[in-house]
Amino acid sequence: MIVIDAILQGILMGLLFALVALGLTIIFGVMDIVNFAHGEFLMIGMYTAYWTSLLLHIDPLITLPASAAVGMLLGMASYYCLVRYLLRGPMIAQLFGTFGLMLFLRYLAQFLFGTDYRIVQKGLLVGKTLSLGPFRFDWTKTAAAMLSLLAFGIVYYLLHHTKLGKALRATALNKEAASYMGIRTERMNALAWAIGGGTVGVAGGLLVNFWYVYPTVGLLFVMIAFASVALGGFGSIQGAFFAGVLIGVIEMLFPIFGHLIGSDFLGPHFKFTVVYFAYFVIVVLKPQGLFGWKR
Amino acid sequence: MEALRDAFDFRDFSKTERIVFGLFTLVLLVFPWLGTGSFVKVVAIQFLLFSLFGMGWNTIGGYGGQVELGKAQYVGIGAYTVALTMVWWKIPFWISMPIGVLVAIGYSFIIGYPLFRLKGHYFAIATICTSLVLQDIFINWKLVGAAKGIELPIHGHPDFLYMQFKSDTYYFYFIMALFYTAIFYMNWFRKSKLGYQLRMIKDDEEAAESLGIDARWCKIKAYSIASAFVAVGGGFLAVYNLYIDPYSVMDLDLSIKIALMAMLGGAGSMWGPIIGAAFLVPLDRFLGSWLGGQKGLTGVDFMIYAALIMIVSAYQPRGIWGIIEQFRRK
Repeated sequence: MIVIDAILQGILMGLLFALVALGLTIIFGVMDIVNFAHGEFLMIGMYTAYWTSLLLHIDPLITLPASAAVGMLLGMASYYCLVRYLLRGPMIAQLFGTFGLMLFLRYLAQFLFGTDYRIVQKGLLVGKTLSLGPFRFDWTKTAAAMLSLLAFGIVYYLLHHTKLGKALRATALNKEAASYMGIRTERMNALAWAIGGGTVGVAGGLLVNFWYVYPTVGLLFVMIAFASVALGGFGSIQGAFFAGVLIGVIEMLFPIFGHLIGSDFLGPHFKFTVVYFAYFVIVVLKPQGLFGWKR
Repeated sequence: MEALRDAFDFRDFSKTERIVFGLFTLVLLVFPWLGTGSFVKVVAIQFLLFSLFGMGWNTIGGYGGQVELGKAQYVGIGAYTVALTMVWWKIPFWISMPIGVLVAIGYSFIIGYPLFRLKGHYFAIATICTSLVLQDIFINWKLVGAAKGIELPIHGHPDFLYMQFKSDTYYFYFIMALFYTAIFYMNWFRKSKLGYQLRMIKDDEEAAESLGIDARWCKIKAYSIASAFVAVGGGFLAVYNLYIDPYSVMDLDLSIKIALMAMLGGAGSMWGPIIGAAFLVPLDRFLGSWLGGQKGLTGVDFMIYAALIMIVSAYQPRGIWGIIEQFRRK
């Protein structure tokens, strides 16, 4: 019973992980660049939701558009001000460039908001639980999972059933060929960053309902997102979805597994270590991931 | 013999470079007697330490062209070996540091073997992951002090065997000796067979393999050399700080700083890591003490630091050394 409960909780958490990974995988898929600042985008999304709900006295769930808008703007700004120039350099410069962005955003947040741990205290769903038979779920988590599923659906529709999405995927597959077909690849890159920033902003807005926000919150989530993206295959959207959910489940099941064996070394404090370890094993054994689509 | 001659042969550098290097050596030699404050001395020690780290990273990251972001785990291995053997068995520094280096080399082969199946971004993220896993293990491992870390027993008197001194001057000369050993080693390394092989791999891995170079094995060798360098620095850090914990010696930020300094100075060049450290360490320290002390300005120093990283990676990925060479060609 406890195992089924953990799996269900893991799926709820995993849906959110998947939404975080979605932006990362789109950006990687379109332009082969790893965005280290992704976790910081999430952090900014969290702060946006937190402050808008606090200052405007509205429910944190309604502030999602604000988080999404801030995320999109941030993504576009990063692309036009920084990433565009990084693309000319070697890979190491790209890595350090986005890493610099990550540090910048992190300490900007620390400068503006301090290092306090903040969480949304009041809200429509905060503190309420949903009972389904023997299982109890936090409403905040359930709503977050549902909404991230919805966001995933929207992005999936956008990419696979609209002309814009087709252009984006064409850019991802072959930039030069796409530009010969009249696709403005520069704009597609910016679009990828806007979608990436927007989705992760939404994820941040959802997360702040039940997770503390502080300036360095991003690292954990960006590592989980890297693991999800690696597991699903870099650039694959379905892959990010299933891998995110799977990692959510692993992260919930692992402490229970350790508890059942009675081993101290498999305790809850290692639940994210397992995620890092999983990344390492996955990329070594199966570099294309479960759903790799390029190469 | 030939290796030694190569190590001390600086003739292929330009005259200006040799003169600057000589002056730099001279300044370092008399530095503790210039009447500088203790803070400046601490900064100088940090600078030499990070140059050592950076030169280590330069073997795999600069000459080999592999974006390696997990060097902190080897700092940790070096530091923990020295600290633990000293606390448990009272083994002197001069024995425990080589043990630490050997442990680091052994570990780097174990990790490096699967790691170098990977390339590019996958490799870079995987190195971060291995470092984070090791850090998590050390944070939770009660035997090695867990998150609290270990304090080294403090001897009241200056002790050469355990490398404990009251004055920073001794530490300064010690790290300076390590620094120059590293410079001579690097001078040999860049002219060695492995050095040439690595540069070839960096330029075109497939072409290198078609010439019969075992690229993966070369990278693993360079990786373990880099790890050994960094473990030496880690051992020094343990006796210098007399206190280590997983956050100070194994943090991701440390890995990034090491790679960053080498890159900012100019990866793949002899002087790059030194220039990078000479630039970033004082900047980091002075900005930190200047801005960090003022209320309401915490974080601004790191923001300036981060902005600098972004500007350099966007406009001159070859670092400060790249800029110097650009000017020289004109």
